[in-house]
Amino acid sequence: MDAGTSSRPAVDASHRRALRYLAQRPPLVVALIMLVALLALVITEGLQPTAQRTVNGFVSGSYFALGAVGLTLVYGTLKLVNFAHGDFLTFGAYIAFLFSVSVGLPLIVAAAIAVAATALLGVGTERVMWRPMRERKAGLLQLLLMTIGLAFVLRNSIQFVAGTQPRTLDVDVESSVAFLGLRIGRTELIVVAIGFAVLVGIAMMLRSTSLGKQMRALSDDFDLASVTGIDTDRIVTVTWIFAAGSAGLAGVLYTSAIGTLTPNIGFFLLLSLFAAVILGGIGNAYGALAGGLIIGLAQEWSTLLVDARWKVAVGFIVLILVLIVRPQGLFGRERTV
Amino acid sequence: MSVLAVTFDAFTNVEFWIGVGVLAGAYAIFALGLQLNVGYTGIVNFGQAGFMAIGAYAMGILVVDHGVSFWLALPLATLIAMAAGVLIGLPALRLRSDYFAIVTIAFAEMIRYTAQNARELTGGNQGLLGFDDDWVEFSIEVQDSLASVGLGDQFLLPLLLAVWTTLLVLTVLLRRVTNSPWGRVLRAIREDEDAARALGKNVFAYKLQSLAIAAGVGAISGYFLVLNLAFINPQQFEPLVTFLGYAVLVLGGLASYVGVIIGAVILWTLLEATRFIDLPLSAEKVASLRFIIVGLILILLMAFRPQGILGKKEEMVLGD
Amino acid sequence: MTDTSPTTADPTARAAGDRLLDVRDVVKRFGGINAVDGATLDVVRGSITALIGPNGAGKTTLFNVLTGFYRPESGAVVYDGKSIFRRQPHVIARRGMVRTFQITKALGAMPVIDNMMLAAPHQPGEHLATLLFRPLASRQREKEVRARALELLDVFGLTAKADDYAGTLSGGQRKLLELARALMVEPRFVLLDEPMAGINPTLGARLLDHMARLREEDGVTFLFIEHDMEVVMGHSDRVIVMAQGRVIADGAPDVVRNDPRVIDAYLGDPDRRGAAS
Repeated sequence: MDAGTSSRPAVDASHRRALRYLAQRPPLVVALIMLVALLALVITEGLQPTAQRTVNGFVSGSYFALGAVGLTLVYGTLKLVNFAHGDFLTFGAYIAFLFSVSVGLPLIVAAAIAVAATALLGVGTERVMWRPMRERKAGLLQLLLMTIGLAFVLRNSIQFVAGTQPRTLDVDVESSVAFLGLRIGRTELIVVAIGFAVLVGIAMMLRSTSLGKQMRALSDDFDLASVTGIDTDRIVTVTWIFAAGSAGLAGVLYTSAIGTLTPNIGFFLLLSLFAAVILGGIGNAYGALAGGLIIGLAQEWSTLLVDARWKVAVGFIVLILVLIVRPQGLFGRERTV
Repeated sequence: MSVLAVTFDAFTNVEFWIGVGVLAGAYAIFALGLQLNVGYTGIVNFGQAGFMAIGAYAMGILVVDHGVSFWLALPLATLIAMAAGVLIGLPALRLRSDYFAIVTIAFAEMIRYTAQNARELTGGNQGLLGFDDDWVEFSIEVQDSLASVGLGDQFLLPLLLAVWTTLLVLTVLLRRVTNSPWGRVLRAIREDEDAARALGKNVFAYKLQSLAIAAGVGAISGYFLVLNLAFINPQQFEPLVTFLGYAVLVLGGLASYVGVIIGAVILWTLLEATRFIDLPLSAEKVASLRFIIVGLILILLMAFRPQGILGKKEEMVLGD
Repeated sequence: MTDTSPTTADPTARAAGDRLLDVRDVVKRFGGINAVDGATLDVVRGSITALIGPNGAGKTTLFNVLTGFYRPESGAVVYDGKSIFRRQPHVIARRGMVRTFQITKALGAMPVIDNMMLAAPHQPGEHLATLLFRPLASRQREKEVRARALELLDVFGLTAKADDYAGTLSGGQRKLLELARALMVEPRFVLLDEPMAGINPTLGARLLDHMARLREEDGVTFLFIEHDMEVVMGHSDRVIVMAQGRVIADGAPDVVRNDPRVIDAYLGDPDRRGAAS
């Protein structure tokens, strides 16, 4: 038993160092957990089913991430929890439907119009609702209830105009691409491609452009940023353009991937989007990206273990767990809670 | 140009208005719990529909699956809902207000989702039936006694009386309790938790009590709503219910229990009265229109009169 | 490590049992900065002690640590023989150690009298079970509490405002209310954060008299942060000086004011150049 007494303290010390290293890097811990989960699933459920679900997870992860980015940008800059965000997704999807199916334009054009229209809607709400309320120093409950009221108005206006019957965008739901024994729908592939391209674009914009830096400054400390000469009104408007625009696009992508469109899809997604945002760290765009992807993967992987109807519950469970264990999420800072 | 025609005899349709009265009363009870949380303690509870669901389903399952007497199941299920309030409050109440709102909505949706998918337990979307036999029996007896005063022909009248009696009793109780030293601590917490702590108050314990009571009250409102339909299903517990509860709350005014009653009556009269306006629109569109109006009311109230009809501007503080 | 070479403190008065509060090497960090960097001090039972120092010295931060509102990184805090290190604020308050805030926390949405009655200790009606099952006990105590509240309001000149919302009070009146409210708790030890700021001199003098009376009659101990040197010199038994998160001097008022280290610390703070002379 005495063999190696001199080496034991060294081993313990390096264990402790490793644990401390991990404790300071939650994203790494989560990545490791996911890797372990993936391996466990491959072993127990088989490589092909797991790989297929992983592909599906990337598809849903792309529109979750895109939807979550907008939600987190608005929260980061304005500290506004926008319960109407889901309905921005619905709005975008319906505009795309209107211009592609009803008017007959190609889907790409209709999607572009949808993004622009939703961005306009976002800026509109900023000018008409949020800016005046900020000037009046409105409290949390006031703003929350206003976003809920807005959600009611948006969703039911769409329902008033378009009715409740499910619509479909004119997308190719038949053909799929096969690779390495896995299938991905052609449309789904396009969804992932567009989704990721836009997400990377937004991430790069935030990181490298002067605009992005100003947005991040405002998000860090609104009052401080405004006294350092940043044109807050302009940056806030731009934030809404990105937030609402990405929401509109996410709505179009979601509808393309899923196939059907009803006035409730946005609200239905909203909680998963909140889960992604909070998992990633509210206010942090990279976090929303990571969070969206993780939620998407987790949901699809769960279908290997439980009935698919429990898929959405995964988002809720993640949300509740994060808020209990680490409320500031993966990339958030301790003081924000 | 369309002409709005309002059918006046419909306005005097007693059966219809009794139904509205039941809904208004039940929602008023629901919002009493919200008032305690939001208006008096400053905790932004968006999970009230979840507690309602727990109470209703617990009651239904106890009666149908375990043969518990309906009258015993009611207090038991209320205790279960209150326990749920404590369970969710323990981790959630130490969070900041906006996170608390999100986690409580998530909790309520989890409950609804579970109710929808745990079909063996809850009947899923088909719902739970048969829990109200004892109530129906009792209701008929009450109807018979009412017949002696000429009011025996309204089937829902006993339920209406039960709802409003309960509502008034709960209102009196809650007012008493809120105007007590205990309630004074809640009101301090509402404005500034640190001030309360500096004076020796265990803020967390008070918030937990407030949430547990609201959960119990929410459960009670749930019983009336499911008795009204004779049927428990997940669609009755959508977030819409909580949002309507908040609409009642802000209409009547924060920090006013009487305001809750007024708000509930106004909201439901508005919602249901639109049935009588002969608009050249389909029923579906009228339904959408109703909710657009509710949304606009919420927005306009919060923008221009956040204290509601009966609320006091000086008491409009939510320390967050 | 701290340098607390005491200046002519009477060693017998500071024997362990007479120390109501014993603070050792407390550290509180924010981001990369130690706002309190190893503070060591003690407060004698029944004394009126002033805590002074230039802006940013860490005085209010230390108050927050002592009363449980901030979680310190390390150190030891012992109150009345028992550790209160990292205890919750309401627990510390219940043990009789009460504080006021630099930016007052008068509860504006409640009437002044309610603010006062809120603070009273041992009100059984504050516990739900007692409230429901023994309502008379609550009502009885409310009467006592109300009477005492009105007495105290009288001392502080706020009787006329008793039924008004505290939000309608002026800044100075709010400070008085906060002080009166703290005293309602029947504390053993009161920590005051700049009690004289914003109060007119006559009323200020009344306050100081009241404090002295409480000390004489009830043995209440006071520790207060102050910038007004006249008050500090004229009304405290002992002065503790903090700078850059540490205690740099500690002793009788006259001695401390002439301590070169103290003068240095204040000269380094441009707003206070005239204060130490």
